[in-house]
Amino acid sequence: MKRLGVIVAAACIAVVQLVAASASAQQPVTLNLATAGDQNMVDYVRDYLGPLFEKDHPGVTVKAVGTGPADAGSQKIMEKLEAEKANASWDMDVVVIHQKAAGEMVKDGLLAKYAADVPTDKLVTSPTAKTALGVDVDGYVMPMFLSQTAIAYNTAMVPDPPKTYADVVKWVAANPKKFGYNGIKGGMSGVGFVVGWIYANAPDPARLINGPYDPEVKKGWDKALAELAAFNKNVVLTPGNAGTMDMLNRGEIAMGPVWIDLFYDWQADGKIPPTIKLSLIGPGMPGQPMYYAVPAKAANAKLAEEFIALATSPKVQADGIVKRFNWYPGIDPEAVKAQLDAATWQKLFVDVTPDDLATKGKPFPIVPYFNDILESYERTVQ
Amino acid sequence: MSGSAPSPTLPRGHGGGRSAAPAASRWGPASASAFLLVAPAVATVLALFVYPVCTSLVSAFTSRQGQLGFDNFAKTFALYGGDIIFTLLIVLVSTALIAVLAAAIGGYLVLGRHPGAVAALKWLYRWPLFVPFIVAAQCMRSFLAKNGMFNNTLDALGLVDVGTLGGLLDWRGVIVTFVWKETPFVALLVAGAMAALDRSGIEAARNLGASGMRILCEIIVPQIAGVFTVGLVLAFVTMLSVLSVPLMISGGSPTMITVDMAFRVNSYSDYGVANALGVVSYLIAAAAGWAYIRRNLAEAAA
Repeated sequence: MKRLGVIVAAACIAVVQLVAASASAQQPVTLNLATAGDQNMVDYVRDYLGPLFEKDHPGVTVKAVGTGPADAGSQKIMEKLEAEKANASWDMDVVVIHQKAAGEMVKDGLLAKYAADVPTDKLVTSPTAKTALGVDVDGYVMPMFLSQTAIAYNTAMVPDPPKTYADVVKWVAANPKKFGYNGIKGGMSGVGFVVGWIYANAPDPARLINGPYDPEVKKGWDKALAELAAFNKNVVLTPGNAGTMDMLNRGEIAMGPVWIDLFYDWQADGKIPPTIKLSLIGPGMPGQPMYYAVPAKAANAKLAEEFIALATSPKVQADGIVKRFNWYPGIDPEAVKAQLDAATWQKLFVDVTPDDLATKGKPFPIVPYFNDILESYERTVQ
Repeated sequence: MSGSAPSPTLPRGHGGGRSAAPAASRWGPASASAFLLVAPAVATVLALFVYPVCTSLVSAFTSRQGQLGFDNFAKTFALYGGDIIFTLLIVLVSTALIAVLAAAIGGYLVLGRHPGAVAALKWLYRWPLFVPFIVAAQCMRSFLAKNGMFNNTLDALGLVDVGTLGGLLDWRGVIVTFVWKETPFVALLVAGAMAALDRSGIEAARNLGASGMRILCEIIVPQIAGVFTVGLVLAFVTMLSVLSVPLMISGGSPTMITVDMAFRVNSYSDYGVANALGVVSYLIAAAAGWAYIRRNLAEAAA
């Protein structure tokens, strides 16, 4: 009798396990996405791209998590992948990262060379898809969008907008404490302004963008940095990207560097009045792409590639990137233009024309020069 | 915590006489089970505090090339020496202001004669306790701005003209936020200790005609000095660790070293200098901790 009881119990356990196993085989798949950048990046996936992908892929849930703005957010993603490097499979399937982290992650072997498997790869024409701040990332990344810094100014307080850095300096001398930027510690808009300053005032800016690296080059920046220190005495130092735009909104400053996409977002939300406009000043201000990448040991690599294919398709780039979020497209603009009406296309190029972008939109310098600029600022200007 | 930690709610002299372990079984089986009981807690502290502190120390003393040395510290003091002094000053000034305000709040709760006002203060002063630092920083960002709520309220009341005012979004805003956020914590401890005091001393002083201020400064505060020190040390160390407030309120330079630590990691991936800044922070907190321990030992001896 006892033996029969044992056999029955064993049979029950076996049946339960079989049922559980088959149940888990039908469990929904979660596509895990981690994105650096401001909250608009998370909203993009959560409100638009995620539901679009889930519609075409029943049983798949897209889970998006934001890791914070600027290089700090990308740094967190890199740290997480480094920490789980030894695991058999990783818990992030798609990552959206900045250039600096992308270069480092490729060097550390954290990313998969997936781009060739994605059909939309042939639509990518930007040179930033091949190199990230001097590091070869060809095949490891696809640009999600191109973001650009520019100077936002209040038309009521600035009747004659500046066209060059020299114009800004002159204006600030005449209007002290009416220009604000966040230095280099609070946000990338300030970093972009400082980099543009070096491009404008230092010898050989092309070398800073293309290399080769020479540690002696930073000695040639002394005059430019001294002028920046003098410039800083007449400006307001704001607490960050949002800080600059808040002050513009409240009328406390009349001019400041901003990210164009964040600026249009805030304007659409009513957080910045329509009287504030943009000017891309010469010789140039930096911009950067953010990249889609697939971690080398992603648990759902094939699904990740399908997600990125959707995200870089002309329709999604047109509706999501340009129309919804006011970013410049990551794939060839011509492929996207065909999907948009003229009015929407023009909206992005009202204050900053395509010609402006082509001539004055610059990439950030290569990593060693980038670090030199930041450290020289810390030493001499602050 | 040893048995000599001051209890805010028990009157002094009670509950301090916790018995020592029975002398007969100093290292016997009773101690073995005692070790087992504390083992999980000790293990947690070892794993989550001692081990990271050790790796942080090693990183601070390892240069970018991988050799041991003081490179990181040289760079830290070269670039961030001013920020270190700034951090100390901000936190010390904030602590001093918190001391004054907490004593004032506690004093009024004990000595105040308007039951309505006392009840209102009692209800109101605790609210900032539940607000996280980052939320406080975000609120202060628009409250203390040049065209923010504070200035515009004063302007609406006709006290000032908002056009002539500057904002407080610099070191002053940082101090205001710290004091606003930490005062309730210290006031809570202090008010509790004051309420537990023997009222006879206060009544006697009142009968002799002493003013409220005099009673507070000469009778009450000296008796609760222990709790006061504890509260202030905790507030000091907390404020030393905050990143959100200086990052969100003050854009300029100098700034607190927590911002520099974050900047170092995020912009340069330079953990060495970030950890060196961390070591400086440990030392400052250790000085505060030393004051705390000295106070505890003085209590135990008394």
